[in-house]
Amino acid sequence: MYRQKIIIRLFLCLLPGLILPGTMLAQTAPEVHAGVDTTNIRIGEQVKLRLTATIPAAQFKDIRLGFPVLPDSLDHFEVVSRSSVDTSGDDQLKVLGQTFVLTSFDSGHWDIPAMRFEVLQSNSALADSLFTLPVGIDVGTVAVDTTKAFKPIKSVVTAPWRIWDYWMEITGGMLLVLIIIGIIWFLRTRKKSIPEVPTPTVTPYELATQQLQALKAEKVWENGDIKGYYTRLTDILRTYFEHQFGIAALEQTSEELLQNIKPVTKLNQQRDKLRSILSVADLAKFAKLQPSADEHLSSMQKAEEILEWTRPKSEETSGEGVVTQEA
Amino acid sequence: MENTSSDIRQLNEKIHQASAFVDLLNMELGKVIVGQKYMVERLLIGLLAQGHVLLEGVPGLAKTLSIKSLSSAINGKFSRIQFTPDLLPADVIGTMIYNQQRNEFMVRRGPIFANFILADEINRAPAKVQSALLEAMQERQITIGDTTFKLDEPFLVLATQNPIEQEGTYMLPEAQVDRFMLKVVIGYPTKEEERHIIRQNLNPQATPEIRPVIQPSDIMEARKLVREVYMDEKIEKYIIDIVFATRNPEEYKLQKLKPLIAYGGSPRASINLALAAKAYAFMKRRGYVIPEDVRSICFDVMRHRVGLTYEAEAENVTSENILSEILNAVEVP
Repeated sequence: MYRQKIIIRLFLCLLPGLILPGTMLAQTAPEVHAGVDTTNIRIGEQVKLRLTATIPAAQFKDIRLGFPVLPDSLDHFEVVSRSSVDTSGDDQLKVLGQTFVLTSFDSGHWDIPAMRFEVLQSNSALADSLFTLPVGIDVGTVAVDTTKAFKPIKSVVTAPWRIWDYWMEITGGMLLVLIIIGIIWFLRTRKKSIPEVPTPTVTPYELATQQLQALKAEKVWENGDIKGYYTRLTDILRTYFEHQFGIAALEQTSEELLQNIKPVTKLNQQRDKLRSILSVADLAKFAKLQPSADEHLSSMQKAEEILEWTRPKSEETSGEGVVTQEA
Repeated sequence: MENTSSDIRQLNEKIHQASAFVDLLNMELGKVIVGQKYMVERLLIGLLAQGHVLLEGVPGLAKTLSIKSLSSAINGKFSRIQFTPDLLPADVIGTMIYNQQRNEFMVRRGPIFANFILADEINRAPAKVQSALLEAMQERQITIGDTTFKLDEPFLVLATQNPIEQEGTYMLPEAQVDRFMLKVVIGYPTKEEERHIIRQNLNPQATPEIRPVIQPSDIMEARKLVREVYMDEKIEKYIIDIVFATRNPEEYKLQKLKPLIAYGGSPRASINLALAAKAYAFMKRRGYVIPEDVRSICFDVMRHRVGLTYEAEAENVTSENILSEILNAVEVP
């Protein structure tokens, strides 16, 4: 009788547990787990370590889970890469996961140690710590048959040729060809659009004569610009000497010029006339001298005589003596 | 006030008359100085343009004789200072000495108190002595103790530098060299001149004595006239072009000179080139400056004002080479 009572009481005690709804048996606390894709690798091979934490959805907002921070090197294992923490799950459970790629260079059986997860409250206070179980990995070595001789090093293996390996070069080449074609096309069409204007060429003599005529026509000294008249007159002569005889007359003083025309016989024969022009011009330009009208005319006449005397017999335009007329 | 043509004509005549003493001076100096006309001419330019002259040449080229003779011909006081490593500024400008009888300090004037100073081998003295002389050259006055003394006018310093035996010398810094209006490089006399020199020196009785042909006051008057010499704006532009070409050669189609020039002429170079050109025109008895005047004096005014780079020195390019290039590139007005 007493025994029956005990059995009935025990049954009554266990009854609520048996009749409680299935939902009451669902997970109520976070759980962590460490798993690997293989437990058997050879030296240097890689193994993926997946750390997961399962949290009831109801607590997901209230707690934060701190994943273990793995150093680059564990005992007998090296961390090759690590992913960021990802989140998945449903209305009931949330699963956080992080994957590490590990490798080992020591042969033997090694344990990936237990990983510590920190359960933090919303105010960052440490509430609990969760640990995964250690995971054993067998790291096997390559079997070496020491009875056999060493084998020679294998030569470089040529990879099979694939056109896509050269897509950058091919595209670049095609672009270059297109650009060159474009430039040629642009230059040809531009050339066609600009009508070619024949550049008139005149001999130094003709140019100087034209400039002297222009100086006369402008009546420079008649208008009171004596200094300007002599500046232009001497510049015309100096430019003529430069183009016709190759004397750098524009960069020479009057005395230097008179010295440097000596080797040019034809010009040297007109030395006195040139000296006279340069002397009057220097006085007009640098000493504010006002030569008389006769002197102006005389200087012009002497300049024309020098040009006429030194005019080349043949006016053939052959290279050196030809100048391009300025606009 | 702008000069009119009649003003310039009058000025020209005035200068033509006033500059007659230049020929007299040249004749008098020619009695004892054989050759070296170039150096004597530059000394006169320095004297007339109120500048100082740095002379570079090997020993025995009549440097001392030239300035001593010039001093005698102008009736000025001459003084020679041999620069040595142990020279002190007081040895040049003077000092205060204690007079026991009077129980007071008295000023003892140094050799710089003269009209013509020959600062021989200026690069042998330390910087502080060089500085003392150069300051006196610039300010034309000396301060000893609490008293400032104006130096006598005309005041011309002829400093010499020996281009050889550079060991243990103190090169004049660029800023100090810039204070010399002219740097004249003199060479050896010609064979004919050397023959005259031998004959003149072997016959002491034939050595004539220099007589004063003008007075210092005449030089002061001439200096005023030199300043009045007319310089046209075209000449001013020419001077500016030359100086700017030493600073920015690429603007004058002289890109190749750019890596050879460390620094170009200062504004003092422009001023001195203009002044020296005026003095040169005066000596040629003209009342106006022409481009020849500028070109004639350009090398002496500019050679110590164009700094060379290491590249130029490595290629044996001298400041004279650079100036020649510039003068051949800058258009003459």
